Amino acid sequence: MNDSVLETVGVAKVLGSGAGQVHALKGVNLSLRGGELTLLMGPSGSGKTTLLSILGCMLAPTEGTVRVRGESIEGKGPEDLAKLRRDHVGFVFQSYHLFPTLSAADNVRLALDVRGENGREAKAKTASALAKVGLSQKKASYPRELSGGEQQRVAIARAVVGSPSVILADEPTAALDGENGKAIMTILADIAKAPDRGVLVVTHDPRLVSFADRIIHIEDGTIVREQSREGARTLKNILGGA
Amino acid sequence: MPLVFTLAFRNLFHDRLRLVATVIGIVFSIVLVTVQMGLYLGFGQMVTTMIDHASADLWIMPRGTKCFEDPSLLDTRIRGRALAVNGVADAIPVVIGFADWRMPSGASTPVFVVGSDLRAGGLQPWDVVDGRVESLSTPNAVAVDKSYLSRLGIAGMGARAEIRQQTVRVAALTDGIRSFTTTPYVFMDVDRARAHTGVPSGKATYFLVHVASGATIDGVQHNLRENLSDVEVLTTAEFADRSRSFWLFGTGAGAALFAGALLGVIVGTVIVAQTLYSSTKDHINEFATLRAIGSSRNYIYKVIICQALLNAVIGFGIADLIGSAVVYLTASSALPIVITPALTMALFVLTVVMCVVSAIAAIMKVTRIDPAMVFTR
Repeated sequence: MNDSVLETVGVAKVLGSGAGQVHALKGVNLSLRGGELTLLMGPSGSGKTTLLSILGCMLAPTEGTVRVRGESIEGKGPEDLAKLRRDHVGFVFQSYHLFPTLSAADNVRLALDVRGENGREAKAKTASALAKVGLSQKKASYPRELSGGEQQRVAIARAVVGSPSVILADEPTAALDGENGKAIMTILADIAKAPDRGVLVVTHDPRLVSFADRIIHIEDGTIVREQSREGARTLKNILGGA
Repeated sequence: MPLVFTLAFRNLFHDRLRLVATVIGIVFSIVLVTVQMGLYLGFGQMVTTMIDHASADLWIMPRGTKCFEDPSLLDTRIRGRALAVNGVADAIPVVIGFADWRMPSGASTPVFVVGSDLRAGGLQPWDVVDGRVESLSTPNAVAVDKSYLSRLGIAGMGARAEIRQQTVRVAALTDGIRSFTTTPYVFMDVDRARAHTGVPSGKATYFLVHVASGATIDGVQHNLRENLSDVEVLTTAEFADRSRSFWLFGTGAGAALFAGALLGVIVGTVIVAQTLYSSTKDHINEFATLRAIGSSRNYIYKVIICQALLNAVIGFGIADLIGSAVVYLTASSALPIVITPALTMALFVLTVVMCVVSAIAAIMKVTRIDPAMVFTR
């Protein structure tokens, strides 16, 4: 088994205050391992987004510990957390969040630029990341000139270009048709093969189960079930996946 | 091209209407400041033009003289005492005063008489374009500026008029000796100036001191102050400063010009701040995405400040062109707008500072960005 790249121990999160207080997460223990694509599934309001925000070092837990590559985020300020994100975490969003005024290549290069990486090496890494998602020919295109699937591939290239330890994908196929969704998941599954990188995909879509090495089910702020690689494969077979 | 700059440039040019509004705001503001400060400099130059063009190392004047146009009188015996002071090479009398110029048509207009000992130099007309300064020594000869010919009701060289019922004849014409009071200057010999202004023969308004070679201006100024009572002895620079201070600040004219400039800066800052803030608000998702992918706050500040600087450069470039046109158009007016390289540099720095200060509101907005908002939008 590969090392854990991201883990939570007893993470709880309370949102709001007074009568409006919500216990969004209740003692979540989770470990993302390198070389695995993990699906996080659960109904709306189950705490998926809150958990994703905490895993992505954007939100501090009310209780519990989060460790990225063994480094605890406890006590870290916003700038330290931003550094953790740019060094270790890549994000893929449901609505892509590309910069409409930048070309595909510049959108990808941005993830390196915020790390202070620029120049020829950054351009080479950008070209390599775009090639990995099959968009070498569209590097000069602007988001408005790309299909939804292509935009999401640019977003994936942006997420992987800095070689992060973890890729967190929030409903990456929700805005895509079946074929494009499958293509995106194939790319993510391929990315997850790297032994030092873990991929977590938040989804409602049961069709994505076929790509998973592990499935975590969350309900009402608690992890209620975790299926191993084997369990996931059984589920794949039941669902008729690949 | 650095990506920060690309992003700032694209953000700015993405909404061209807003960019135009911002640039108009900056241009309006900077042109207003340019005109006010240019007037200030022009006024400052105009009020000291006589002092600057006099060939004097030191000025002896009645105590309490506020400006060149202040017509208090000195006793001419002071000249003899001044000449006896060590280091004084010459002390040339100057007489000034307002008089009434009667045109050939019978109408009259006020003029400002400037009389100097023409044999010794002193305060002579400059930029003479017709006739010669030496001809002012001939009977009734005066010099006037050609821009005032119609005002004086005369045609040009050789024209005759009257001052205090005494005939004067135009023997020289100058070009560009304009008066900020709009009262035309009339140059003549010092004795004739006394006659035309009613100054007694034993009086003068100033003595222009030439320092002997080998003596220092400071040393001679000290000696004169020691030896002459009830007068003031100022260097040319000190007298120019005093004149400028009186006209610009003693009269409130300078304060009004500065107030106008300040208003321009405030208006410009508010307009740029408002447009930068709304631009930042429109791009808040992008800034949140930047934050989510790990950019530092400084990186985002750089984007916003870069936008502000681009605004500044574009706005200043246009404002500078308009300012140059205004300078050209007012060059021959009674109160020209003067823009020096130092003022241009100062205005550029002001524009940059104004735009960067305007970015504060936008920066405060992005400082509060929650990167997790990218999951909910």
